[in-house]
Amino acid sequence: MFFYYLDLAWRSIKKTPFLSLLMVLAISIGIGITITTLNIYKMASVNPAGERSSQLFSVQLMSQDPDTWQNISEQITYQDAINLRKSEVPIRQTAMFRTGLAVQTEDVNFSPILEGVRVADSDFFAIFDVPFLYGSPWSKQVDSEGGYKVVISEDLNTKAFGGTNSVGKTLILDRKPYQVVGVIKNWNPSPKYYDVNNGAFNESEQIFVPFSLAPIEEFNSWGNNNSWRHENIRNYNDRLNSEMHWVQYWTELSTPAMQQEYKLWLGNYVEQQQQLGRFKHPEARGEISDVATWMVFNNVVPEDNKVLVGLSVLFLVVCLVNMLGLLLAKFLKRAPEVGVRRAIGASRMQIFSQHLVEVGLIGFCGGVLGLAWAWGALSLLASKFDLTESLSQLDQSMWLIAPVIAVSAAIIAGVYPAWRICTTNPSIYLKSQ
Amino acid sequence: MFQIKPIVSMLMRNKSGPLLLLIQIILSVAIVANASFIISERIGLIGRESGVAESEVFDFSIYNFDESIVPESQNLRDLEIIRQLDGVKAAVSTSMTPLSGGGWSSNFSYGSSEEDRKDTPNAALYYSDEQFISTLGLNLIEGRNFYPDEVHIGGSELASLAIVTAEFAKETFGDEPAVGQTMYRGNIGDQPMKIIGVVERLQSAWVDNSNLNRSVILNVELNNAFNRILVRADEAAIAGLKESIPAALHKEHPNRVVTDFTTISEHRISVYRNHELMASVLSLMVVLLLLITSLGLAGMVMFNIERRTKQIGTRRALGAKKRDIVSFFLVENYLLCLIGGGLGGLIAVQLGQQLMTLYSLPKLELIYPIITVAGLLVLTTIAVILPARKAAKISPAIATRSV
Repeated sequence: MFFYYLDLAWRSIKKTPFLSLLMVLAISIGIGITITTLNIYKMASVNPAGERSSQLFSVQLMSQDPDTWQNISEQITYQDAINLRKSEVPIRQTAMFRTGLAVQTEDVNFSPILEGVRVADSDFFAIFDVPFLYGSPWSKQVDSEGGYKVVISEDLNTKAFGGTNSVGKTLILDRKPYQVVGVIKNWNPSPKYYDVNNGAFNESEQIFVPFSLAPIEEFNSWGNNNSWRHENIRNYNDRLNSEMHWVQYWTELSTPAMQQEYKLWLGNYVEQQQQLGRFKHPEARGEISDVATWMVFNNVVPEDNKVLVGLSVLFLVVCLVNMLGLLLAKFLKRAPEVGVRRAIGASRMQIFSQHLVEVGLIGFCGGVLGLAWAWGALSLLASKFDLTESLSQLDQSMWLIAPVIAVSAAIIAGVYPAWRICTTNPSIYLKSQ
Repeated sequence: MFQIKPIVSMLMRNKSGPLLLLIQIILSVAIVANASFIISERIGLIGRESGVAESEVFDFSIYNFDESIVPESQNLRDLEIIRQLDGVKAAVSTSMTPLSGGGWSSNFSYGSSEEDRKDTPNAALYYSDEQFISTLGLNLIEGRNFYPDEVHIGGSELASLAIVTAEFAKETFGDEPAVGQTMYRGNIGDQPMKIIGVVERLQSAWVDNSNLNRSVILNVELNNAFNRILVRADEAAIAGLKESIPAALHKEHPNRVVTDFTTISEHRISVYRNHELMASVLSLMVVLLLLITSLGLAGMVMFNIERRTKQIGTRRALGAKKRDIVSFFLVENYLLCLIGGGLGGLIAVQLGQQLMTLYSLPKLELIYPIITVAGLLVLTTIAVILPARKAAKISPAIATRSV
């Protein structure tokens, strides 16, 4: 029966090509706009930590004086980072920040390049599930004692060592030799949730060096360095002892019990610091946020995206109302034909489902065309605005979402016209035949 | 003469069609009014002047990673080399670049004692020398520039003189003259800085921050291993300089990275990218929405005409002119548009209110729904008049044949 209705629907569409085309166009543009904005929204709000989202926690401390900042800062001071590292509660933890270093190799023909570098502890790789191609992170011992070890990306490995297994070789960073201990596969989580303070959609770093080298090598911080009070910072040591917030801190706490324990530990730490004369704010506290909470806290999804999705849904409603009107016009025009079918024995249910199949077909065509619009719109936006690839790609789920929204929206719009047509009294239309 | 009564009674007889059109018009007005308001607001933001000779100025960075390089003397030497290149009008080292999205900002304190101490609003900090104003093409409207011997080389704690923007001066000191005032870093008495000049306009690095038009230029050349240079050059020479500057600097000393050449115009494009994206997507939406609404309307009118063929034929037979038939459809359309526009305007204001409270959008101005309704009247006239003229051609003989 379905295929017979499909055939009828096709014939009916061919009979009124202009109206049908208008409907397909209306729904496809509605779907196209909705899918475009939904796609940008989805790509911007995806949680890249996946299942581990609820086990990874960013640590924040309200360490400022009263009458300075109102809110808890997303970064912490160096001295707090060093103190937090002493906690034995988390399975893994890392203090970190971003810097940049000049890269050279032992090959004199390799002209120096400036690369973004992440300064972190060895746990960084396990916490964020970074896949290794060769080698492994540096040892725990390096985290406490310092050591010139480096982990590099696959891309840099190709650039500097021609893609061979470079573990054990030497990479020169700012004129200092570092031993390569690991090469990671290309890894670029989007949004870059582990460090959102320099833009959440930037490329991730190509080079990773031990945090323990920071006081020795005096790495600059390429990121926000926020001070709530004025301090004279003349050298790196002043910076390490200052109240400036510039270090990010992440922990892995796998069970709720562990999270509870860590919160308790943080509370004690805050009290201890208060006794030492720091943390004078009445709301002084430590906070932990899992990845999902962290992304909301940092407004990773821009408000613009939400406004766009809202407006595009309204837009889709306009398209549906438009389609409803056109369907009504089209179906009522066909009333005499329906009258004949009813007179020779078609049930109301049959008439109703026949029309819904037709509407569904129109919706499906609209959905497919809409996907094409969305794809075109995204590539247009990507080329004009230099969007990162991750934001402009049509998400796979959209291949399913678009036709489903289109068909169901069309059917919602079609119910009333189909009901109208199947409930009209056939005799009225038979009279004039 | 407008036959409003028969039109209304006809609309009432067949409610669902006109009702749908009404809903569509209401929603269209609500969406289009808000979208065009956001678009014009964003275009306004993008159009703000930076005060800089944007097409002539570019920046780049030098990273000296060789310990044998002494930043202080090397920087002076580098600037000398750059200034001598063909096409370069001026060059300075700077702590940050306007519209670049990253840099330094701070507030100062002012007043005569700890008791009546006040904080200035947050301002962007440019550390540079006496050539900064001419390199960026700024307009000095009060006071004077730094003298060359007043510029220190070293850390930020050496700053003692400041040139501020007119907006910073006004927001901080009101109608009092800013030139001659002293500001402090932190508490009263800490590192006094005397304001010696006011420039008309100089934007900061952050276009979405309230400090955009508040900048302070301080008399220190910061010499770090990582140095940012601003160059003003003939527009035609800029492309060539991107090649010749690294070459000249590497000839001076090979162990460094010279990178990130960007003109202020390019900075402007990237720093406003999100606003432009929003304006573009919304413009696309407005155009398509108007297209769909008018196509839908045209489709409905065509359908109505077919349904009313007999009625039209009868009226024509009874002496109605072609003009009367067209105006009948037009008046019907205007009625729907005005009612829908009125209700749509109310909903647009409501929607604007919601957007304002939920997101940091400004309040919708009433002119937007009004212009939208006016635009919709024009557009629907075209959408109606084409099929209506076809209807007017219906011959009374054919239309009434089967009666």
